[in-house]
Amino acid sequence: MPQETKVKATFPSIEWFNALRDIINDDDAYKHIGTCDAVVGVKMPDAKKYFLLTFEAFEVLEAKEVSETDAEDSDFWLEMSDARWQEMIKNIGENGKADLRHTLNTIDLEEEEGFARSNDGYRRDAFYRFNQSFQHFFDSSAKIDTKFA
Amino acid sequence: MADESPEVPEDLAKVANEKGIPLDLMRRALALGFPAEAVKQQIQAPGADAEQAEKFIAEQERIRAGGEITLSEELVKSAAKNGWPEELIKRALALGAQAEMLITQMEAGIRPEQAERFIAQQERMRDAAARGEQVLDLSWMRVPTEWGIRVRPGKKGLTVGAINVGSYASVPDVWQYQSEMPRGAHPIPGIAAMGYSIYEKVDLWADNAADLYEEAIQRRWRPATDIPWDSMEPLPDEIERSMCQLCTYFCEKGLLAGDIVGKWLPEMSYGYHEVKLYLSTAEFDAARQFEVFRKRALSNGGGMGMQSPGYFHRAIIDTRVWTEASVVLHILSNSFLIGMYQVGEYVAHNEAESLIFRLCMQDVSRQLAYGVQHLKQFLLRKLDKRAEIHSYLNKAEAVMTHEEEQDTPLREALIILLGGGVSKEQILDGVRKLEYFKRRWVRDYVARLAAAGLPERRERLHPLLKKYLEEPTAAQAAA
Repeated sequence: MPQETKVKATFPSIEWFNALRDIINDDDAYKHIGTCDAVVGVKMPDAKKYFLLTFEAFEVLEAKEVSETDAEDSDFWLEMSDARWQEMIKNIGENGKADLRHTLNTIDLEEEEGFARSNDGYRRDAFYRFNQSFQHFFDSSAKIDTKFA
Repeated sequence: MADESPEVPEDLAKVANEKGIPLDLMRRALALGFPAEAVKQQIQAPGADAEQAEKFIAEQERIRAGGEITLSEELVKSAAKNGWPEELIKRALALGAQAEMLITQMEAGIRPEQAERFIAQQERMRDAAARGEQVLDLSWMRVPTEWGIRVRPGKKGLTVGAINVGSYASVPDVWQYQSEMPRGAHPIPGIAAMGYSIYEKVDLWADNAADLYEEAIQRRWRPATDIPWDSMEPLPDEIERSMCQLCTYFCEKGLLAGDIVGKWLPEMSYGYHEVKLYLSTAEFDAARQFEVFRKRALSNGGGMGMQSPGYFHRAIIDTRVWTEASVVLHILSNSFLIGMYQVGEYVAHNEAESLIFRLCMQDVSRQLAYGVQHLKQFLLRKLDKRAEIHSYLNKAEAVMTHEEEQDTPLREALIILLGGGVSKEQILDGVRKLEYFKRRWVRDYVARLAAAGLPERRERLHPLLKKYLEEPTAAQAAA
């Protein structure tokens, strides 16, 4: 039986997010969760890396590297230290998906300022409304052979 | 020589007799070519009497005899504005159309070519009936609603929002019909009122309602099969009991939310179907919330826990206007409910619990989204009602905090789950975490109200909530 070949990408990079986008857009399980409409920023302040993910209907429309300001011009952005980001991605890679201590929600509660942050109390709720889609999105990074920068 | 005046059908004669309208008038109406069923509907309408019928029929006879048709100034103005030729208006009036009805149709966006098709069909029917021919009453096929709509599915399929095109996209500020007629359909007279009490858009509308409906349908889930129930394993007794107490509380919340929405849905008129559709899914979500937490309580060696005091439940049930109910249920109550779901996921002991709480967070956050958007448009349109909203929240926050103080089983269950047990250290850890989470819940509640256009609520919170907005040390000192 042929072994599954994983795509290789370095985290954090636009190549890594594009690889994840491609995996999701070819994933019926993601579509089965239902439509998801949100613009989500990703912030790694230590590495000064910022991304913007556009979720639309049944796909991830776009992933792009942006400025910090642009990452905050979103429904909400996900922000924590580089070490915590690495811990989460590694945990997903090791378990095939986030274990109970590394779900987006659990991390959100553990971060004093929250993992999901926003300038708008209504738009931030997109984190809850589409939570399972976002969890599935990051869980799918287990299909990437991730190297850390 | 035989009498050639038309015979009055038995059912029409019966209605005419009940209304005190002479049968001769009915014969004259039928002789003009009006279908018997249409005549019957007209005289059944509230306010129809012999005098009115005589006036109408005499006017129709005058017109048929070649008399001039005069148009009111209002009718001429509306016709000019909407591009209806005056000749078309005169043909409609000659068929017995009421001037008020014509104005309503023109203002609703019915195009002149649509009206012309309908009128031509009616004229053919009238002429055939006048010749005594047996014809089908196909007037319903030429209903003067906007026709020829052909919406195509988009990326999300054919959504409720997408079919809001042309005149069907027009959501009136006031819905004038008291029946179950869908928006965009053509009204018929004499339909009994359904007893709705909410007729103004401002009292229920939220711009996101159609999208929330589609979202709820798309993201539906099935507790019976979507939850990995076999991932559950026996838990320490105090943990299982605490989780079951939490489940009991969520079951109550689910039933309550269903009752509240179920109570208000029949009050909402049909002009705002987007809101009615969304709230129907919210009611289903509430049922599913009850279902999944009852299943969790009864599937791992535990059972149901203690009832909660219920003061807050009664405060929500007793609300007198929908906006009050929505603000209290959807924003206040659900802000704390979603916080507790977050905690439930945080303390989950297995994949089943983790997924249950995540999916419930999704469902209840749609209700939050409706509540925030409804309050936002309400405050924008009813500038004088801001103090009233604060009044609702003053009362609800006071009852909710009182309930929280009284609900020892819920508080202790949360402390045990957060601390991981009942040892002294675990209890201290649980108390500390619960205080931390409450600060987050209050912060998020205030942020939602600010997004809805009520930022000053932060300063007017109930003291037992406001203390959580202060720095932790200051809050501890104040406690």
